[in-house]
Amino acid sequence: MTNQIVQGILLGGYYALIACGLSFMFSVMRIINLAHGSLAVAAAYLIFVLSERAQLPLWACFIVAVAVMAVAGWLIQRLILDRSARGGQLLPILSTFGLSMVIENALFEQFGADTRSLASAIGDLSWDSWELPGGLYVGKLPVLIFVTAVVLLAGLQLMLSYTRIGRAIRATAEDPDTAGLVGIDARRVNAVAAAITLVTVTIAGMFLGMRATFEPYSGAPQLLFAFEASVIGGAGSLWGTLAGGIILGLAQTCGASLHPLGFLIAGHGVFLIILFARLMFPDLASMPARLIRRGAAA
Amino acid sequence: MTKKEKPNGLTRRELLATAGAATAAMTMGIRPAFATDTLKVGFISPRTGPLAGFGETDGYVLEVVRKALANGIDIAGKTYAVEILDQDTQSDPSRAGQLAKDLINNQAIDLMLVVSTPETINPVADACEAAGVPCLSTVMPWEAWYFGRGAKPGEPSPFKWTYHFGFGVGEFHKTYVSQWKLIETNRKVGVMYPNDADGNAIRANLAPLLQKDGFTIVDPGAYETGTTDFSSQIALFKQEGVEIINTFPIPPDFATFWRQAAQQGLHRQVKIVQVAKTGLFPSGVEALGNLGIKLGSAAYWHKAFPYKSSVAGVSGTELADGYEAASGKQWTQQLGATLSLFDAGFDALKKTPDPKSKEAVAKSLSTLNTVTIAGKVDFTSGPVPNVSPGPIIGTQWVKAAEGAKFPLDYVVTENATDPNVPVGATLLSYNG
Repeated sequence: MTNQIVQGILLGGYYALIACGLSFMFSVMRIINLAHGSLAVAAAYLIFVLSERAQLPLWACFIVAVAVMAVAGWLIQRLILDRSARGGQLLPILSTFGLSMVIENALFEQFGADTRSLASAIGDLSWDSWELPGGLYVGKLPVLIFVTAVVLLAGLQLMLSYTRIGRAIRATAEDPDTAGLVGIDARRVNAVAAAITLVTVTIAGMFLGMRATFEPYSGAPQLLFAFEASVIGGAGSLWGTLAGGIILGLAQTCGASLHPLGFLIAGHGVFLIILFARLMFPDLASMPARLIRRGAAA
Repeated sequence: MTKKEKPNGLTRRELLATAGAATAAMTMGIRPAFATDTLKVGFISPRTGPLAGFGETDGYVLEVVRKALANGIDIAGKTYAVEILDQDTQSDPSRAGQLAKDLINNQAIDLMLVVSTPETINPVADACEAAGVPCLSTVMPWEAWYFGRGAKPGEPSPFKWTYHFGFGVGEFHKTYVSQWKLIETNRKVGVMYPNDADGNAIRANLAPLLQKDGFTIVDPGAYETGTTDFSSQIALFKQEGVEIINTFPIPPDFATFWRQAAQQGLHRQVKIVQVAKTGLFPSGVEALGNLGIKLGSAAYWHKAFPYKSSVAGVSGTELADGYEAASGKQWTQQLGATLSLFDAGFDALKKTPDPKSKEAVAKSLSTLNTVTIAGKVDFTSGPVPNVSPGPIIGTQWVKAAEGAKFPLDYVVTENATDPNVPVGATLLSYNG
């Protein structure tokens, strides 16, 4: 059972990593990006092409991919989301859906149906592990993914709290018109936020490619888990996303240890329970914090 | 070349007569009669979407077949032009059914050929059965085709128009027993069968047969496709000390499972990793890196099959080499499977007195007994009517020799279901 819990927590790190961009974009721009999974797969393909065809070392591929995807994020915001946002709230969501179709089929046109993986670029790291006392094994890659998720979420949180652009992003998220009064260009800020989102998506895509395999149409399942993790964690909250990912991962591994069919059901079940609890008791999410405060006051 | 010979071709007088007759025929409006001399054959396969790995080589096979049939075929003393209408299901079962209806109603096809996976074949076969159009298919377990579409064991076949050839659970059983006895193990088999049509059929039908042959089945239970963590199953396999793993997963699930199994040290304990549904095509195995080497697999066709295509006249090796030269990619077992469908389909057309009569074509299919590039197809002696079981040959992915064009080699390790196929290598122990 200890093993299942450890694996569940590590799996949660992976979910948090793929959910990170989704929840960041939602918190800043109030857009649910349905192209999230496809963009992650596109980033994985980009890294794959750079490492297999251009024979660059992995870190170089990663840096190039991050730069390219950041520019892509900027362009997506400027060319698609900004324009569609003028047509009402639903339109940006629909256009991200369309975008995901375009990306998937463009990838298929270009790369065909072959299953790809970045595992060959990292050699045996994809399945190496450390043996802990008590016959416990933890994979090196899952640990790396977990640490990356924590660092990334912490970095985003620090950036939002302490930097100039972070404050501008928060101000725009609160009230773009008032932010405009003090000289913040909402369109520019949103484009920067979209670029940052796509940087996180690139990281997620890279680890997706290392951890499993991908083909042009493998974005949708990623989107589902990312969505569940970010909703469980309270959409828009970064640390909540980490908690959400871990809760989802734990629910799944514990469900699977009862019966293998329980894996997905337990995950979806926890997601629905938390969703309904949120809807019925809106102040439940802040309960732990209030309890701690009361405890400290007493 | 000293003697002057009469030229072999037409004489001037014959030429004039023929040309005159042809011109007369055209001017008199007999031309539409040519249209009935074209045989229209529908071909449906998954070329894009999640099942696209199966359809990847179809473009090349179609090219080979069209080239071979460019001058039409002779049937009962008459030459027919052949038009193959190929369609892509985009891996979507409902689209497959729509495409079939379109080909039947709007294109008036004479024969339907459909290949690869229940998601593609069953909706098309159902549409053909309903419309009364002869349909031939291959590459899915025949039990899922026959019983999955409503036939009952022990009752007469409800199908008049649809026919299927290829492997079934019985062949998997023979192949696995033969393959697993090649290496000394404790005969404990850890199985990972998903909760889908194939997985449930295999669990219900194959596992009991294996148990009868002295293998202990360790089954943690069905899992949902798309599961991203398999630690509970891996823990059970380690605890039980299994030395054989048998799985029927989709490729991404297997990559996740097997990498995690390796993290947990399971790969050091198992001697045979027998995968099906995954590991059919080289790209999927390459994606696993070092963990893909020495995976056991089973092939419905291999380029070592000693047969020739009756339609295209090519041997297995020629087909594989031709594909590699044309595409720059490694050959796959789907090449021969798709070509065998054309072999069998056109053989049925050739053996009928009237290929434009659907009744006659269906009758010809029901008595078809022929040899395709993938082996024997015989509807006269199947386990149930409308079905001809075909081979599934035990194979293994091994590291290719130095200097080979591709990183992996796919070798035949046993031939229980078709002894004509030469065994090319001995099975290597996975952890050895």
